[in-house]
Amino acid sequence: MTPTSLRLRRVGARVAGAALVLWAAATVTFLALHLVPGDPVLVLLGGGSGANPTPETIAATRHAYGLDQPLYVQYAQHLGRLLTGDLGISTSLKESVGTVIAEQVPSTLRLTALALLFAWLLSGVVVLLSTGKGAVGRALGSGLETVAAGLPHFWLGVVLLYVFAFRLGWFPVAGGTGLVALVLPALTLAVPLAGYLGQVTRGALLTALDQPFVTSARLRGMSTGAVRARRALRHALLPPLTLSGWAIGALFSSEVVVEAVFARQGVGRALLNAVIARDLPLVTGIVLLIAAVYVLVNLAVDLLYAVVDPRIRTPKEL
Amino acid sequence: MKPPSRRLNLSPSPSPTPRRAAAPLAALALTLLATACTASGAPTAALGARPAPGGTLTYATDREPTCLDPHVAGDMPQAYVAQQYLESLVALDERGKAEPWLATSWDIAKDGRTYTFHLRRDVRFTDGTRFDAAAVKANFEHMVDPDTQSGTAGGYLAPYRKTEVVDAFTARVHLDRPYSPFLNMLAQAFLGMESPKALKRGKEANCAAPVGTGPFIVKEWNRQSDVVLVRNPRYNSPPPYARHTGPAHVAKVVWRFIPEPATRFAAVQSGQVDVIDALPPEDQASAERDSRLKVVTRDRPGNPTNLALNTSRAPFDDLRVRKAFLHSADVANGLKSVFFGQYRRAGGPLSYVTPHYTDAHENAWPYDPKKSNALLDQAGWGHRDGDGYRTKRGERLSADVLLKSDISPNQLALMEQIQATAKDVGFQLRLLRLDAATVNTRYLAGKYDLRDGYWNTNTPDVLHTVFGSEYAVKNGIHSNAAYVKDPALDRLFREAQATTDADKQRELYGEAQKSLSAGAYQLTLYPQTTRLAAHRASARGASLEPALSLPYLYDAWVNAR
Repeated sequence: MTPTSLRLRRVGARVAGAALVLWAAATVTFLALHLVPGDPVLVLLGGGSGANPTPETIAATRHAYGLDQPLYVQYAQHLGRLLTGDLGISTSLKESVGTVIAEQVPSTLRLTALALLFAWLLSGVVVLLSTGKGAVGRALGSGLETVAAGLPHFWLGVVLLYVFAFRLGWFPVAGGTGLVALVLPALTLAVPLAGYLGQVTRGALLTALDQPFVTSARLRGMSTGAVRARRALRHALLPPLTLSGWAIGALFSSEVVVEAVFARQGVGRALLNAVIARDLPLVTGIVLLIAAVYVLVNLAVDLLYAVVDPRIRTPKEL
Repeated sequence: MKPPSRRLNLSPSPSPTPRRAAAPLAALALTLLATACTASGAPTAALGARPAPGGTLTYATDREPTCLDPHVAGDMPQAYVAQQYLESLVALDERGKAEPWLATSWDIAKDGRTYTFHLRRDVRFTDGTRFDAAAVKANFEHMVDPDTQSGTAGGYLAPYRKTEVVDAFTARVHLDRPYSPFLNMLAQAFLGMESPKALKRGKEANCAAPVGTGPFIVKEWNRQSDVVLVRNPRYNSPPPYARHTGPAHVAKVVWRFIPEPATRFAAVQSGQVDVIDALPPEDQASAERDSRLKVVTRDRPGNPTNLALNTSRAPFDDLRVRKAFLHSADVANGLKSVFFGQYRRAGGPLSYVTPHYTDAHENAWPYDPKKSNALLDQAGWGHRDGDGYRTKRGERLSADVLLKSDISPNQLALMEQIQATAKDVGFQLRLLRLDAATVNTRYLAGKYDLRDGYWNTNTPDVLHTVFGSEYAVKNGIHSNAAYVKDPALDRLFREAQATTDADKQRELYGEAQKSLSAGAYQLTLYPQTTRLAAHRASARGASLEPALSLPYLYDAWVNAR
């Protein structure tokens, strides 16, 4: 087989895989929202407390969202709409799902980017500072990472808010669009993630430091710090890079909590509210977005491997 | 009858200042500032004691509305924000009497089915459309249209038949039966008047930016963050309870959503927002002590927060068991410990601020375990099992309490106290904390023994909504959570709806309250309350309007920033 057709087949397999993931996400979302008990019409007509709709209104609402159709018809319509790229109108916000997501995504992306940056910086600093400091330094660094990885976002967010916003007043209490308002929520996300990243980076770095090329570099007179930063670190980057692919997806789900605690705009909080309101179009739209992010990020990570580790490149690409 | 609570203001009630005079007065006000502030006991702050025009007021609330047009769906957060940009045909005074607002006067035909409204001729919607009889007709038609998906306004207008445009400024509304609560309903923000031209844009556009005649205009809605309202410069139709005329004082209102109670409270303490609502009860005492803050509360009319006893199935199909349960609950002590003494007990089916409320039933069901035990013995629940619960023919005396998993910690603690005192008399309460969907399913199917609820509305006709047999729907949305089916009560409600004579109404609703209290259909707990806290240094004059105790920002003013 020629390299070109090989590459085409690989691309084809990737596209088919991505489509499968998106289809599965749409289907699971549909089933999950329909199989849980409860009547979405009740939620739609005024939250269940304080509303007393007439039977005509109930029937009209049921019909408007196709909820009077058999489940398989609803499923077919749901997939049909998605295939044409129509995400529908959010039942709870009465706005097109595309618009809602476009409105909420920038805030979430900014938060994700800053959280990932903080996580890389925090873990990098802790790992580089503690790997060469003997057994005590290593134990301290790895202990710190274990504790950080175990911190629940909700708790950490509230503590950071209490100390730095309520008491010290360094940061705004809630919401806000500027960079200052982004710091506390990004830290809330970054600290536990830095714990995970630090643990795998440390493991990989220690393995790399045992390799013969490290010894030979040291023999040639390179300093310990330079060896660690310039030679070993590159080898140690693969595991945390893989983890970052997962982390971006995981950050999206953690943002459900963090955006609520900090009263920020974002798709995480929109997802939470949509699930509570049983808003199928909006839940589907956001789940598809997250699935697409996973697919794209993993693709990007695969490509980055080749940059970091030349052994992964195919001969043609070398 | 106790008078409804006074309307409270955040300011030392300044005399209304006409807008023309306000600007030159601002300088004077600034020079008088120090004295004014000292006089009112407020901390020294750069805020005039008199309203000054301009500036932005930031308001923070807990829940975000799903649609800014309160005709659609109809949940409280919609009414809160709509009160700032929609206006009603009539307003209510402190005692629940209808006063002119967009309608200057009205005639009610003898049969009680025809209401003729004479409208103001000088009011325009903020899109330039004239407010007239055709607009009134378009609004009612929008509310009752099933496609509007109106749970509240549409439900209240169930007796509506049609509107006749008699002339440009006279609208005649025909109902299919006499319905005296109609005027009170009209005063609620849920039934606010919107531009007919704007209504035609369709639900999506109208939910995003409804157009009214009010003091503010919806500028933009940044979902999950805020709604931005700007001042209506041509505003000329304040309600009778407003304290000034002309446009609103503040140029802009940022209506923010901060769901976390502690965060919201911290935001007003720090002055990051000017006014918050839903002040957490556990913070109220510290807010009142805090010299930076001013607390304004007002209890709401309607059916107070309660546990409804499902009379359609055992064990609460037995009046003796219902009575025994009511006597077993130590609500007064529960409220004291859980809500820090901030919530008063509601003993009867109507909140004390509802028109035609009678205080005769406030203490009808005192905590009395002895009586409770005797009633349960009489009802045949004389045996006790190994856990101390009563049994009858091998079955345990037990009731399922339907609670949503997002119930507030305080409300849950109150439920646990009620559970504990019920256990003392051998009555098991199973507190079921379920997800919203499961709660709704079980509620629709009537599969519960106790359900917590409340109903905010400004007329004693709430009793009809909450106890009328037509709302005791099996397997469907039912506001009659206790499944009360009493033809004598239904007759009282119909007669009260058929008369506009206040004395006759008081007598009929009085009888209804008596019968409902005696029927032991609800364990009533406390009246619903609107609680505001304002940062004194930055905002004054925010108040609560009389119809539903909704926040009202027309008279508020801030530091121009």
